[in-house]
Amino acid sequence: MRRIVSGMIYGLSGAVGVLAFLYPFFVPATAETARWVAHGQNAPLITAALVGLAVLALTIELQGQAISAKMVAMLGVLISITSVLRFIEVAIPMPGGFSPVFAPVILAGYVFGSRFGFLMGAFTLLVSGLITGGVGPWLPYQMFTAGWAGLTAGWISGGMEWLVHLMGRSGPHRSLRPDIAVLCVFGFVWGLLYGAIINVWFWPFAMGPAEQTWSPGIGLGETLARYGTFYLVTSLEWDMARAVGNGALILLLGAPVVRALTRFRRRFHFEVHADA
Amino acid sequence: MIHLDHLTYTYPGSSEPALSNVTLDIAEGEFVLVVGPSGAGKSTLLRCINGLAPHFTGGTVRGRISVAGHDSVVEGPQSLSRIVGFVFQDPEAQFVLDRVEDEIAFALENGAVPPAEMRVRVEEVLHLLDLAPLRDRPLETLSGGEKQRVAIAAALAFRPRVLVLDEPTSQLDPQSAEDVLNALTRLNTDLGLTIVLAEHRLERVLPHADRLVYLSGEISGEDGGVLSGPPRQVLRQIDLTPPLVTLGKALGWEPLPLTVKEGRAFARRVEPGAAEQSLCRSRLGDGADPLLCVERLSFAYNGASTLSDVSLTVRAGELVALMGRNGSGKTTLLKCIVGLLRPCQGEVTLAGKPLIGQETARICRQVGYLPQEPDDLLFADTVAEELSVTLRYHGLEDQPPLPPTQLLERLGLEGVMAVYPRDLSVGQRQRVALGAVTVTHPRLLVLDEPTRGLDYHAKQALVRLLREWQAEGAGVLLVTHDVELAAQAADRVVILSQGEVIAKDAPEVLTVSPLFAPQVARLFPGQEWLVVEDALSALGKAIPDDENIEVRARLSRHQGIGCPGSAADSSSRRIIADRSTSAAQDPNPPGA
Amino acid sequence: MLDARVWLVWVLTTLVAASSARNPLYTVLLVLVTTVVGMVCASDDGPVGGPRAILSPLRFATIALPLSALFNALTVHVGDTVLFRLPGWLPLLSGPVTLEAFVFGAQNGLVLTVIFAGFAVFNQVTPLRDLVSLTPRAFHEAGVIISIALTFVPQTIRSLNRIRQAQAVRGYRMRGLRDWPPIVVPLLISGLERSMGLAEAMVARGYGAISDQVQSLRTSAGLVVGLLTLLGGWLTFLFRPAWREVGVGLMIGGGALIVAILWLAGRAVRHTVYRSRRWTVRDTLAIVGCGLTLAAVVLPSPLGRGTLYYSPYPRLTLPVFDPLVGLGLLGLLMPAVMITDKRGNK
Repeated sequence: MRRIVSGMIYGLSGAVGVLAFLYPFFVPATAETARWVAHGQNAPLITAALVGLAVLALTIELQGQAISAKMVAMLGVLISITSVLRFIEVAIPMPGGFSPVFAPVILAGYVFGSRFGFLMGAFTLLVSGLITGGVGPWLPYQMFTAGWAGLTAGWISGGMEWLVHLMGRSGPHRSLRPDIAVLCVFGFVWGLLYGAIINVWFWPFAMGPAEQTWSPGIGLGETLARYGTFYLVTSLEWDMARAVGNGALILLLGAPVVRALTRFRRRFHFEVHADA
Repeated sequence: MIHLDHLTYTYPGSSEPALSNVTLDIAEGEFVLVVGPSGAGKSTLLRCINGLAPHFTGGTVRGRISVAGHDSVVEGPQSLSRIVGFVFQDPEAQFVLDRVEDEIAFALENGAVPPAEMRVRVEEVLHLLDLAPLRDRPLETLSGGEKQRVAIAAALAFRPRVLVLDEPTSQLDPQSAEDVLNALTRLNTDLGLTIVLAEHRLERVLPHADRLVYLSGEISGEDGGVLSGPPRQVLRQIDLTPPLVTLGKALGWEPLPLTVKEGRAFARRVEPGAAEQSLCRSRLGDGADPLLCVERLSFAYNGASTLSDVSLTVRAGELVALMGRNGSGKTTLLKCIVGLLRPCQGEVTLAGKPLIGQETARICRQVGYLPQEPDDLLFADTVAEELSVTLRYHGLEDQPPLPPTQLLERLGLEGVMAVYPRDLSVGQRQRVALGAVTVTHPRLLVLDEPTRGLDYHAKQALVRLLREWQAEGAGVLLVTHDVELAAQAADRVVILSQGEVIAKDAPEVLTVSPLFAPQVARLFPGQEWLVVEDALSALGKAIPDDENIEVRARLSRHQGIGCPGSAADSSSRRIIADRSTSAAQDPNPPGA
Repeated sequence: MLDARVWLVWVLTTLVAASSARNPLYTVLLVLVTTVVGMVCASDDGPVGGPRAILSPLRFATIALPLSALFNALTVHVGDTVLFRLPGWLPLLSGPVTLEAFVFGAQNGLVLTVIFAGFAVFNQVTPLRDLVSLTPRAFHEAGVIISIALTFVPQTIRSLNRIRQAQAVRGYRMRGLRDWPPIVVPLLISGLERSMGLAEAMVARGYGAISDQVQSLRTSAGLVVGLLTLLGGWLTFLFRPAWREVGVGLMIGGGALIVAILWLAGRAVRHTVYRSRRWTVRDTLAIVGCGLTLAAVVLPSPLGRGTLYYSPYPRLTLPVFDPLVGLGLLGLLMPAVMITDKRGNK
C-alpha cells in the first residue's frame, strides 16, 4: 500500500512536470475565448506554481520518512561539494554550458537509491542557486529536473541488477562496466532534457501571450517548429555540451566514485547486538 | 557517575573485540585522562559512554554501562545527549551552522527548548568558555582553539553532567591546545563537571587529572589491558610518558613530579657531576655540501608580506627543524620551495640548480613534500596503489627509482599493502602519504607538521625513519610545533617569526627561548640538555629500559662524531639561559 | 533591515506584475522601480555572503532584448508595417518582417528583464541565512541539509585547493577533462569522511530524535489527492475552455491541500527557533505596498483593465497609460522608502 501511494506521488508529480513542458504547444490550439485572455497571460506563472507544488509534494513524501543523521550529514556535504564544483573555477578546462552537477547527482542516486538521488538533485540546484544568487522563477524547474534525474538514476541499479540476473551473470563481484555505460547514456539524455525543460520558464515569456502570436492556421506542428527553432538558436549548443560533458564525466568518474560511495553505503546498514 | 561493568565491544565485521572486559568506575566531578597507544580503543571507550558505540557504529556489546543511572546501550546517544556532552577531534567537522551563537543553539533548537530558556543557556555557555566577544563571528574566521571552544560550548548547551572529549587538541597548535585545556580545567574545578578526556599531550593535563586510565591495547588480559588509578601510580607502570616523568622515574624522584615546577625542586638538588663532557649535535662539519639553498626569499600575499629575506640551507644528511608560531610563514616557505607559491624575489636552489619558475610536478621528482593533511593525498583503493599513482604521474611506472615494495617495507607497511588507506590509523596513514611522496627517491624531504595527531610510538617510528633517510644522504626540512621532536631529531633549528628568520642554530638554541624550550631544558636551566637522554648521560645514569633502543642508538651516534669548539659555544650560550620561571610556564596567555 | 518574507512577497509581486501588465509603459516603469529598489537596498549592507549576483540586470537586458526582438521578428510574420521580406525558401523564417513583431519581441525581452532584475534584487538583499530560515517547518531536515551544505562550502573550497596542491606535489599535472578524477575523487572521499564525523557529532548532540517517526500513510494519501486535483484542474483549464472556472477552482483546491499537508506536517515537528526576527511596522508597510501593486494588476478595475495589455498588432499604436495602475505599480517602491526612512532616522 505504502509503495503504491509513493509510486502514485512520483507518477503524478512527474506528470505535472511533463505537462508543464508540453502545455505551451497546446495552448494556442485551445485558446479561443477572448474572455480568458487575462489568464492566458498568467499561464507561465501558473506553470511555475504547479511545478513548485509538485516538487513540494514529492519533497514532503521523500523527506518525511525518517532520515537518519548520517543521511542528513552526507547529503549536506555531497550537495556542498557538488555546488562548489558547479561554480568554482577549477582551472580544469571545460566547454561552455557544461556543468558538473549531474554526474555526482546521477552517481549518488545510482548508489544510494531514488530518494537520496531526488533530494540530492533538487537541493544541489537550490543550494547553488542560493550561493550564486541564482534564485528565480527557473528554480522550480531546475529542482524538478535535477531531482528527477537523481530519482530515475536510482532505478538503474535495480534495473541493471535485474537485467544481469536475467542474463545469468549476477554475482557479488559482477563488473560495473555495463552499469557505467548505461549511466553514461543516461547522463547524456538528462543533459539534453534539462536544457529543454529549463527553457520552459522563459519561453512563454519570450513568446508573449499565446493568443497574440497565434493566428488562425497555426497548429501544434507550427508551434513545435517554433519551439524547435527557438531551442536551436538559444540552447542546443549549450545543452549538447552539457550532455556530452555529463556522459564523459560519468565515464571518467563513474567507477571510482561508485566504489567510494558503495564503501560508505555500508556504514548505513549495520546491526546492533547487545548480549546480556 | 559512570560505571562500566565487564564491557566488551566488537565493531561490525571484526573478529577481535576493540574493548574487552573493561570495568571502570568514574566518580562525579572527577577529571579523568584516558591514554594509550593509538588503536588501543580510547575512542571506542569514550563512544561507549554516550552510546555512539554501538548505536552509531553498529557492532556487538556485552556487559553493562551506566551513566548517572542511565543505560547508554539501551537508551542510545540521542537521549544520553542530555547527560553527556561529546567533543570530537576535528573542530571543523562538527559544525552544522556557521555562526558561533547559532551553532551553540542548534542542539537546543532541535530539542525544542523554549526560546527564552534557550537564550539563558546560550548566554551561560558563552560566558563559561569566554566566547561572549566572539558570539556573532562566523566560525570560519576563528582559530582552531576558538573553534574547539565553541564545540565544547555547544556540547555543554544541554547542561550535561559529564563532558567527554576525544583528543580535542590533536589537530591544534600548542597555543590553541593550551587554550582548550585551560578551559577544561576551569570547567572541572569551578563547576565540578565530570570530564573524561583522551589526550596524548600529557604534559599540560597531567597536573589536573584526578585519575589516569591507560589502555594498553592488549585485550587478552583479565582486566582487558586497562590500568586505572591516580596519575602517579599509573605513570610508574607505563612507558608513554612525557620527558619530565621519564626523567623523574629514571632518577627515582619521589613523589613523581608532574609539573616542571615540581620537577625543578628535585633538579636543583642534582649535581651535574661529570657533565662537562658536553654533548654536541652538529655531527656534520661545515664542509658538507649544501643540498637546498634558500637565499633572500620574499613572498607577499595580497600586498601583505608573509616572508621577507629568508635564507637557509639544508645540507645532505642533515635534519633542519623550522619552527615558529602560527602564521610565521613556515608553510608559505615550504610551498615556495616546491613551487606551489611563487616568491616575489629570492633564489631557491637544489644542489646548485635553481628551482624557482619550475613546475611543481618537476620539482617534486627530487623533493618529497608532505603537506600538513596527509589525508589529502590518499584516494587510491590500496596502499600499494597510492605509490604507483605517484610513479604514474611522474611517468616512472616502468623504471621506478626505488622498488615500491622495498619502500613499503621500510615504512613498516608491508602488512597492509592491499588495505584501503583510509581504514588505517593516523600514524599509518601518514606513512602511506610519506611513501606516496618519496617513491621517486627524492634527495630532499620537506615535511609540514608531520607529528600532528601522532602518539609517542608513531612519533618515534617517524624519527627512526627520517634518521635512516638521513644516513643515506637525504636532507630533511621539517616544520614542527613539537619542541620535544625538534630537540630530539634536529641537527639545526631555524626559527621564523613574522616571515623573518630570527634564529638559525644548533638545537641548543631551544634552551634560550621560553617559547620553544623543551621540558628538560626548563628543568635544568643553564645546562644545554634538551632531551631525557642528554640529562641522563650527563648525570652518568643508565637510560631506563622502557625508553626504546632507539634512544641508545642515537646517543652512540652522538659520541661517534667529533664536535669541535662546542665548549666555547656552550659557555657563551649560558648567559641567556637564565630566564624566569613564569615565562616558561605560560608564554602565551589565552586570548593573546 | 526587512524580513526575508517581505522580500519574498515583493519578488513574487514583481513577477506577477511583470507578466500581467503587458504594456511597455508599465514594464519600463517596473524596470525603473526594481532598479531603484536594488540601488537603495543593496548598498545598505553591501553584498551579503558568497560570490553572488553573477549577471547584472543591465547585461541581461542587453542580451535578452535584442535576442527576443530579433527572434520574434523573424518568426512571426504578422503586422502591417513591413520592413522587408525574407526569401521564400527558408522554413518558418521566410515572409514579411514587420516592425510590429520587432516591437512585440522587444517588449517580451523587457518583461524578462523585469523578472530577472526583481530576482537579482531579491538575491542581493536577503542574507543567505534568512533565506534558509524561510524553509517551511515541515522541511526541517531539508533546512538542516541546506545549512550543512552552506556551512561546508568554504571548507570544501579549501579542501579542493589542498587536494590540488597535494596532487601537484605527487607530480600530477592538470591538462583536461581527463584529469578530473584525481581531484574530484579525493574531494568526495574526504567530504564523505567528514560527513560521517559530522553525523556522529550531530547524534552526540541529540539530533535525530525529531525525525524518527515514519510518515503516516494518511499524509501520503493526502498528497496523492492533492496532486490529482491539481493535475485534473490544470487539464480542465487547458483543454475544456468552457469549464475553465472549474479548472481554476480545482487547481486552487489541490494547491491548498498540499500546502495544508505541509502545514500539518510542520506542526508535528518539535523544534524551536533561537534567532527569531521580530516583525516591524516597516515590514507591514512594505507588504501593503506589494498589496497595492497586486490590486492594480489583478483586480478588474474599469479603468486599468484595458490599458494593462498592449498589442502592437496589426498596426503600431502608442500604448495607453493609466495613472491609477502606474500608481499601483509604485507600491513596489515601498521597501526602498522604508529603508531610506530608517537611514534618515539614524
